[in-house]
This record gives sequence, C-alpha cells and structure tokens, in this order.
Amino acid sequence: MSGNILEVKDLEVSFTAHGRTVTPVDGVSLTVRRGEALGIAGESGSGKSLALKSIIGLLPPNAAARGDLRYALDEKEPIPYSPTGVHGHGISIIFQEPMTALNPTMRVGDLIAEGPRMHHGLDKNAARTKAVELMRRVGIPTPERRAKMWPHQLSGGLRQRVMIATALSTEPRLLLCDEPTTALDVSIQDQILGLLQELRTSLGMSIIFVSHDLAVLGELCDRLAIMYAGRIVETGPTDQVFANPRHPYTEALMTSVPSFDASAEQLQGIAGRPPDPRNFPPGCRFAPRCGYVQGDCSSAVHELRTSGDGRATACIHPELIEGVKE
Amino acid sequence: MSFLEVTDVTVRFTVGSRLAARIKGEKPPILTAVDGISFEAERGESIGIVGESGCGKSTLAKAITGLVPVASGSISLDGRELAGKRDQALRRRIQMVFQDPSSSLNPSLTVEKMLSELLRVHQVVPRDEIADRCAELMDLVELPQSLLEALPRRMSGGQRQRVGIARALALEPDVLIADESVAALDVSVQAPILNLLNSLRDNLGLTLMFISHDLAVVRYVSDRVIVMYLGTAVEDRPTAQLFDDPRHPYTKALMAAAPKFGVKKAPGESALKGEPPSALNLPSGCRFRPRCPLAADICEQIEPDLIGPSETQRAACHFAWEENEIPA
Ligand SMILES: Nc1ncnc2c1ncn2[C@@H]1O[C@H](COP(=O)(O)OP(=O)(O)OP(=O)(O)O)[C@@H](O)[C@H]1O
Ligand SMILES: Nc1ncnc2c1ncn2[C@@H]1O[C@H](COP(=O)(O)OP(=O)(O)O)[C@@H](O)[C@H]1O
Ligand code: SF4
Ligand code: SF4
Ligand SMILES: [Mg+2]
Ligand SMILES: [Mg+2]
Repeated sequence: MSGNILEVKDLEVSFTAHGRTVTPVDGVSLTVRRGEALGIAGESGSGKSLALKSIIGLLPPNAAARGDLRYALDEKEPIPYSPTGVHGHGISIIFQEPMTALNPTMRVGDLIAEGPRMHHGLDKNAARTKAVELMRRVGIPTPERRAKMWPHQLSGGLRQRVMIATALSTEPRLLLCDEPTTALDVSIQDQILGLLQELRTSLGMSIIFVSHDLAVLGELCDRLAIMYAGRIVETGPTDQVFANPRHPYTEALMTSVPSFDASAEQLQGIAGRPPDPRNFPPGCRFAPRCGYVQGDCSSAVHELRTSGDGRATACIHPELIEGVKE
Repeated sequence: MSFLEVTDVTVRFTVGSRLAARIKGEKPPILTAVDGISFEAERGESIGIVGESGCGKSTLAKAITGLVPVASGSISLDGRELAGKRDQALRRRIQMVFQDPSSSLNPSLTVEKMLSELLRVHQVVPRDEIADRCAELMDLVELPQSLLEALPRRMSGGQRQRVGIARALALEPDVLIADESVAALDVSVQAPILNLLNSLRDNLGLTLMFISHDLAVVRYVSDRVIVMYLGTAVEDRPTAQLFDDPRHPYTKALMAAAPKFGVKKAPGESALKGEPPSALNLPSGCRFRPRCPLAADICEQIEPDLIGPSETQRAACHFAWEENEIPA
C-alpha cells in the first residue's frame, strides 16, 4: 500500500480564447498521504485555486484540464478517477466566501442535508437529523434553530461552519480548502483552523489547504508545496521549509511576512510582479525577480528535484541560497 | 496639548427600519458603534488600531476624518476643534486610504487626470506647478512616471493601493488614516507598502493611524497600539510592551488566536470562543465579560475604566495591573 490518498501528476489547466491558449497551471505534480495536511502557498494568480478545483472537477466550463489524477478510496492503491464524479464521493471542498458558495435560496439545514440525500440515498427526515448532528459537530450553537435559517442570516464565521458541515456531510476522506479563513477575523479564523485540525485527527481525514498566508499554513500543515507561476517550485516538511528554504521564491515570500516577535527587521517584499500566464518568462519563471539569478537560469528546464530528506526544489542553483543560510 | 486629541468620542447609528419603529410606536434601536474613545497622538506618531470585525475601527476612523458625525466628544488637531463643521482647509488635513482602492478610483480617469483634478480643485499648488507635483507624488509613492498615463484597471492591486496613497498625499495632510489598506494584498506586495508608509511618516512627519485585523502588520508600523472591543478601547500601550506583556484578557486572547509566522502553535486554543456579542445588547459591567476567562463578580457590577500606571500605559480591566508592576 502506498499510503497516498491522492496522486496528481503533470496537471495542466488551460484556457483558449481568440485562438490563443494560456496555461495558468502548467505541470503540477503532488501527492497527499493518508491523514496528512498539505499546504499550497503562493501569490495571487499563481494557480492555486485552479489546481485545487481540477482535483474535484469544479473548473470553469471554458477550462481544459490534462494530467494524471489518482485517488485511493478505502485502503487501496490510488487509481485513476474522474474528477467530475468524485464530488460527494470521497472528496469535498470549502471556499473562502461561503456566501457565494452556499445556495442562498435554501435553508441551512436543507443545504447540509442535500449531499446525504443525493449521494447516500438518505430520506428527508434522516438527512435532516444528520444535518443537525453535523451542525452540532462543527460547533454551531442551537443547531435545531439555526437549521431553519437562511445563509444570509448567519455571521461569516457561522457560514463557514455551515460550509464545513456541508463538506463533511458526504464523509470525505480528503477535504480541499481554498483560503477558507482569509475573509475571517483572527479569532474566528483560529476557531475554524482548530475545528479543521480536530476533524482531521478524529476522522483521519486528509486535507489540502490553499492559502497565501504562511503563518496559517504553519499551524495546520505537515507539508508544504510552494507554487509560483503555475508550477510547484518547492516541497517539503513545513518546519524544514521555513527553517531553511531551498527555493529563492520561498525565501523571498518568507522575508515578506511581518514577524510577531520583537525582531522587526525590515521587510523585503519581492520586486516586480508575478508573471502573467499569457507571457511566462522562459526557463525558471522566477528568474526576472530572483536575487540569485545566474546566466543559465533562463534556459533551465523545470523539474522538481527530490533529495533524500523528503524535500524537493526546482531551483537549479539551490546551493546559492543554502550558502547564505550557513 | 497633543497634536491630535480625540476625547470621549461617541458615534451612534440608528439601525433597523425607522418606519417600522414608528408604526409600532417604538423608538428605532440605536447602536453605539464608538463609545467614548479617547487618545492622543503627536506629530509623526503612528497609532495602530486592532480589534475584531464590527468593533468600530472604521467608524472611529471616519469620525476623525469627518465622514460620520460624532454624537458627543471632541476631536482637535493642532489645537483646532474638528467635531463640528469643518471648512475645506481643515478637512484636507486628515485623509483616509481605503482597503480597496479600485472601488474608490474613477475607472475612466488616468492617474494624472485624477491627481491634477484634485490639486486644481483644492488649489493645492498654482496651475503651472500641477504637472510637477504629480510627478513628485509618483516619486513619493515609488511608482514609475509612466503610470501617470495608466487607467486603474491596467494596474496591479499594489499599484492601485499606491495611487490611493498618492491621492491622499496630494492634499498635503497632517494625518493619514489607513483602513485595512493592505488586507487585500499578497504579502509580497504588502511588505513594500508597509515600508512606504513607514518612510512617509519618517520623511514627511505624517501622523499615521493604521487600522488592521492583522496584529503582526500593526506591530510593524505602529509606535502605539489601541485594542478595541465593542466600541471601546480596552488597551492602549506602546507597541513593544503591548506585544511582550499584554494586560487585558482580550488582548491576550487576540494574540493567542493570531497565527504567528515562525512560532509553532496549535490552532483553536485561544480563549476567544464564539463571536462578540451585539453592541445593541451589551452585558452589564465589563463588556468583555461573557467571553472573559477571568471574569469575577465585580466585572458584572462595575465597568472597568481605561487606566494604568501612566497615561501611556492603559488597560480597561479590573485586574490588568495586579501582578508584576511594569515600568511606566
Ligand atoms: N475562467 C478563467 N478564464 C481565464 N483565465 C482564468 C480563469 N480563471 C482563472 N484564470 C487565470 O488563471 C490564473 C490562476 O488563477 P487562480 O484563480 O487559480 O489563482 P490563485 O492562485 O488562486 O489566485 P488568488 O489567490 O487570487 O485566488 C490567473 O492568472 C487567472 O487570471
Ligand atoms: N452606516 C451605518 N449604519 C448602521 N450601523 C453601522 C453603520 N456603519 C457601521 N455600523 C455598525 O457599527 C459597528 C462598527 O462598524 P465598523 O466601524 O465598520 O467596524 P470595523 O471597521 O471594526 O469592522 C458595526 O456593528 C456596524 O454594523
Ligand atoms: S533557477 Fe535561477 S532564477 Fe530560478 S530560482 Fe534558482 S537561482 Fe533563481
Ligand atoms: S474586567 Fe473582568 S470581565 Fe472584564 S476583562 Fe477584566 S477580568 Fe475580564
Ligand atoms: Mg484563489
Ligand atoms: Mg472596517
């Protein structure tokens, strides 16, 4: 048994308009182990959401996806699956803004009951009972009363809990999270992250958590995949990536985060902007913004090179950044 | 006397339907969004404001800017009272930068048109100096001159935010209020904007009010931080001391909730369970009581004052200063 619940290989997502094709997700490969929380970090527009949505068949209709997707139901080896059929059957997803993801014309209880009725054949009453149970499970106070409310009557934090309950209603083994706490206050964010952590441990669920916030990813994720311009440029255990990044982009991202402790060093930021998918630079796509750039970087072939310690980087000069760290 | 003095400022809104209230013969409910806030800021000082959504941060900012009327209290700048009607010259001295500049930038105006209009209407500089001033503003916010010709939609989020700052600076303000100005930006874009705000303060002597729900960001740009809860200030301390040794249970809980980059911590262990109660239905005594892990009998009876060992070290909790004296 491989221990992987999901294997994604060479995933590409492209859009064609006016005879031109852009490929904002361009060769993403990743694996998620059973019970693991994998974080995907990267700047806005780097392709995080598209990559996540491809896994569960929720791409916009004008998108074309290619690549090898394998998913392991039960204790078996991962096998190829159809992303459009997996929603409600082993994989669920939650989004940043529950208000746009939750059907505003349905009462909260019915929203949560819909999955079990559709996918598990529960009758109306059984599904309702299950909905209230799930609402209690995700920490919604007075669930019987709230089950009868409309989404707009709930606060942002409670709506996010409803979305989690909806996602859990089909008993997923893998939960995809697309910035589910970005729009929330730190207090509510902490509660939701705590809930996800607790659900993951008690249900043995795997998680992919997409966020631009490294601090949030640090709390929840065992492993990180750093995404830049449609590709994964570094992967590794969270602590090790933070302690000693092996891709200059990861390092640059880290020096942009204001620290909570006293040592308020000058923040670096990253010069320039992320490249436009219509016009990705050749070779290493980070080269135009990279402080370590060498002559051969613009002709580098993208490849995540794995080292023995469970880490991988796509930088062809990782020794430069490690030298700095000594 | 301090440069900016905010004394006992209260802002109220009538909520719900006035008509419905009339028909029912009741008074419409009144929400006190800002409830007697006082603080002072010197020229060139940077004040951070944090607190959960709905606690009144933006309303306080708008009251100081003059965008909402105050129900009571006074605001004075450089010794001049602002709480009543402000003339144009006075209004110019406090400017606000908003979270999402694209919604406040006219989509059909180039940056140059927008800035020169502003400079002309407010007669900031003589007509023949407008072009020079535009160029200078672009330098100040570290944007290339070529973007003067650009329309907002052609710019990135970070560039638009800089244009928003340039627009505020065009009026030569003394006080700049940044309300969640970097919340929508990626960290890599946010960092240079925070550096820009810091340098504007150093170079122009601007007084900065920086509102954010992100404690780490507030720490980076503020000399002092005011923590707000349900319309009141619950702690007001110099930044380093607030972060190293928070005194109010709410501040402690907020800090425990915040994810900290580079610090290992498990989520969900903050004392802040549930959500803040409605400001329409305040508990008796201390308003943090229903969520406070330390609440005692006295907290139900007496609302704590914002006090401390000195004017610059204040916290509104009966037990804030009980243990280990801190240097004033
Ligand atoms: N329906 C679409 N048609 C054309 N291009 C698209 C579409 N959806 C996304 N894109 C492009 O794909 C790229 C990646 O988008 P995606 O939404 O995955 O980014 P992201 O990393 O999730 O960004 P954010 O953090 O802002 O959500 C962007 O350049 C975006 O403009
Ligand atoms: N124009 C308004 N009318 C009625 N209530 C308002 C208005 N503006 C703000 N409020 C209320 O005042 C409180 C404080 O709001 P706000 O200042 O926006 O908080 P924050 O900026 O901290 O999110 C909230 O309860 C909000 O709903
Ligand atoms: S390959 Fe070259 S340009 Fe790319 S990250 Fe490494 S050093 Fe920088
Ligand atoms: S006064 Fe009482 S309830 Fe209020 S913060 Fe202090 S201990 Fe908690
Ligand atoms: Mg996204
Ligand atoms: Mg606000």
